Amino acid sequence: MRLKSLLAAALIVVASSSAALAQSDCTKLVPPSPWGPNDQTGATNRVTAGVTKAAAAEIQEGKVVPMSYPLADGVPLFGTRFTKTILTATSLAPGASFGENQLTYMEDTWLSQSHVGTHLDGLGHIGRKDCYFNQIAMGKYINQNSITKLGLEHLKSFATRGVLIDAVKVYQAAGKLKSNSACTKPCLDKGTVITRADLEAGLKLYNVTLREGDIVIIHTGWGNLFEQYPKQNALFNSGEPGIGKDVANWLASQKIVAVGADTWAVEVIPGEDPKEAFIVHNILITDHGIHIIENVRTDLMADEAARTNRATFFFNMTVPRAVGLTGNFVGIDGIR
Amino acid sequence: MAGAAAVVLLAAAGAGAQERRYTVAFANLTEEPTVTLEGTGFTGRDLRESFALAARRLPVEMVFYDNERNNRRAVANAEAAVARRVDLYIQYHADAAANSIVADRLRAAGIRILAVNYPVADAPLYTADNLEAGRIAGDALGRFAARTWRGQAVEGVLVGSLTANGDRVSERARGVEEGLRRHRPGVRITALDTHGNPAQVGALLGKFLAARPAVKLLVGAMDDATALAVKNALEAAGRAADAAIVSHGLDHSVHGGVNDRKEIDPANRGSIVIGSVAFYLDRYGYEILPLALRMLRGEPVPPRTVTAHRLVTAANVFLEYPPSDMN
Repeated sequence: MRLKSLLAAALIVVASSSAALAQSDCTKLVPPSPWGPNDQTGATNRVTAGVTKAAAAEIQEGKVVPMSYPLADGVPLFGTRFTKTILTATSLAPGASFGENQLTYMEDTWLSQSHVGTHLDGLGHIGRKDCYFNQIAMGKYINQNSITKLGLEHLKSFATRGVLIDAVKVYQAAGKLKSNSACTKPCLDKGTVITRADLEAGLKLYNVTLREGDIVIIHTGWGNLFEQYPKQNALFNSGEPGIGKDVANWLASQKIVAVGADTWAVEVIPGEDPKEAFIVHNILITDHGIHIIENVRTDLMADEAARTNRATFFFNMTVPRAVGLTGNFVGIDGIR
Repeated sequence: MAGAAAVVLLAAAGAGAQERRYTVAFANLTEEPTVTLEGTGFTGRDLRESFALAARRLPVEMVFYDNERNNRRAVANAEAAVARRVDLYIQYHADAAANSIVADRLRAAGIRILAVNYPVADAPLYTADNLEAGRIAGDALGRFAARTWRGQAVEGVLVGSLTANGDRVSERARGVEEGLRRHRPGVRITALDTHGNPAQVGALLGKFLAARPAVKLLVGAMDDATALAVKNALEAAGRAADAAIVSHGLDHSVHGGVNDRKEIDPANRGSIVIGSVAFYLDRYGYEILPLALRMLRGEPVPPRTVTAHRLVTAANVFLEYPPSDMN
């Protein structure tokens, strides 16, 4: 009798544990992936050989334009986020070199959160309750160290066409630019909602039509505050110009792979609805598997586009195949 | 109608649909940085910013005026708005006589009026509901006592600027009493009036606590600054375990982002500050501008719309006020 009670109690514990892991019906909260029920790759499925080959046509001069910021102590971060490197250089000590050839070496220990500096938001970064991209109930796929579904290792290439949209130019042309006085170059101020009309005007400015598999990069000028680190860190983090819900849905309908900006969240902060949290992240990442790339250095490409009247480029971004990571800092070059 | 002469612009927002844009004026009670409004910790700047933010996605151009809590200024602002031919005027001013003159001026010019917290003739009114907010706080305290201190001696305490004119804090206090007595009909309730100075809390409460060494206290704080002062006083007296506090306002002194570590925070669920009844003055724009738009489109609006006050605790603070400093 006592054994039966114990077994019953154990069953209750097991049942309640399972319930705790899967709290939501994800089919009601998140749409399915267009690439099937087992898909963990999302929008990089769009980067086919044909897409990459077409993007390669953007390389006309071989000019490489840096599009990532240096990752250093002191760049704008939130709270306890940090980047810290520790150098191992023991073999440089007298008598510590190796062999007759006196080999010495150095290496680093890099302590950092993954979502710092210029970085990619992976599909495991943002969900709705415990439901993530492709209706995956992530509560069942996390351990102490990492996620066991939707990690960066599932992503395909980002070797595609980049399209720069210069929102600063659009606002200047429309006579509605209200720059923040702390920006040393023109910038959209925090809280500015970049609309679909703005993006379309930006595309028209350089006669570009979005095509499936593109990566859209928006120049707001706000990244100028990042460049002034640490002086303007508090202001940089206090808000930002960016896209809202309408634009997120429109970009999703354009079947792009990623959207990036020279801001820390790509989306407008304060948001359009004060009761919603990072809703653009939900729309793009959770609902559509479209990546967000934050703190992209856009000013150099904006200058290049203005100089050459061409806003497209080959998007060259390195993403480590880091198993179980929700995102990572990246290096980006725009090649022309 | 003069309002019809307002500038019509093409809407650049949304999907590119052409839509009439309206010019809406908001005449704030005061924008003096240190002055807080409605017996809460919010300032006029919080209100103004909420209108500016809410207007971003609406077919509205905002024009801002500062009434400076000055009747002459309030009338002058209304006259400036008439000269500017705004479509609608949102008036936030406490003086009934000045509001009456403002109403006359605007009506003569055919400009519609929406009143905030204080009536302006028979214009639709958007207002805080202090009595209901107090009831929510009292109810929360009563529920806490029923859960935690069943069968123990319990008293209620009202602390804050209880006799302040114009802020209707006395209604708030009455609401707390009503809410508390729903659960404990005979409970003794004492009022400790700080006369607007939270620094008085220590002295007032110290005496009170000393006289009640074995009583559990349900504290209805009239505002958040007072709630924090009460908490400090209780801790200093070694009586924090004997009290629960609910305050009013939910201003930025008691809640914030993930990294702010404020009193009402999901990571601080053991606080004796159970929660604060939200007044949402920093969201007035989001509540009021849709009413204004309905009026401008000729749709009916209720004569009185009240804030949907809600008790915000460690359990729901990030739902009500999502942080943007993810970490």
